Amino acid sequence: MKIEITEHRGVKVFGLSGDIDMYSSPALRKELLSFVGKKAPLLFIDFREVSYIDSSGIATLVEGLRGMMSHGGKLKLLGIPERIVEIFSFSKLDKVFDICGTLDDAFKG
Amino acid sequence: MPSHPKYLCIVREVTAKMGQMHGLGEEIVEQIRLAVDEACTNVIKYAYRGNADEQIVVRYRVDSERFEVVIEDSGIKADPLAIAGRKLGEVRPGGLGVHFIKRCFDVFEFDARKKIGNRLRLVRYLKERNEDRDNGT
Repeated sequence: MKIEITEHRGVKVFGLSGDIDMYSSPALRKELLSFVGKKAPLLFIDFREVSYIDSSGIATLVEGLRGMMSHGGKLKLLGIPERIVEIFSFSKLDKVFDICGTLDDAFKG
Repeated sequence: MPSHPKYLCIVREVTAKMGQMHGLGEEIVEQIRLAVDEACTNVIKYAYRGNADEQIVVRYRVDSERFEVVIEDSGIKADPLAIAGRKLGEVRPGGLGVHFIKRCFDVFEFDARKKIGNRLRLVRYLKERNEDRDNGT
C-alpha cells in the first residue's frame, strides 16, 4: 500500500493504492492518527487505486473516523471500487462513513 | 507460510487462484479470499501473538461439492466459544473478521483432536449453493 498526501482546495486528500491489510494498515494508522491530532475540519481518503481491504484496514478507518468526529471534523471516503463498497455494506458501515463518488462530490456534500 | 503479515498477500493470491481454477464466481472468490486472509490474520494476532517466526499451514481440498480450507498453527489454543464478532454497524474498530469468514463458509470449526495449536476447518458447500443460485434463492 502507498499513501500519497495531496491538498485540494485547502483539504488534505490521502490517496491510497494497493492492498490495505494487517501488514500495511499500521502505516495508514500512523498517518491517519497524526493527521487527526491536528484537528483539521475535513479529510478525504481517495480509494480509487485500492485493490483490497480487510478488517484491519476497516478498523483503521473506523479509528480515524472516530478521531475526526471527536473534534467535530469530517472524514469522507471517495472513489471506492464496487467490490470494496460491498465490504462496507456487509459491515453496515456504508451508513456510518460518508462515501462519495468523486472529489467534486466530496466537496459538494 | 511464515507467520509474518507480509505473507498474507501470498495466501490471498493462492486462495483466489484456487477458487478461479475451480470455477467459483468472481464475487465468491472475493469473499473466500477475504475470509482466508482473516483466518490467517487471526492466527498471527491471537495464536502467535504477533510472533512472525512461526508457521501457518494452509491446505485446500476442492471437489465438485465443496471448497475446503484447513488452517493449522502451533500457537495458543483458540476458545471457539469466545469467538464472536461485534454487532455489525457498530462504530468501533475490530470484531469484523469472523463475520467475513462465517458469511461465506458453511462450516467453521476447530478440530478438538489437535493437541497443540489449532486446526481450523472451513468448508463452503458448492452444490447446494449452486442449486440455490440456479433457483434464484
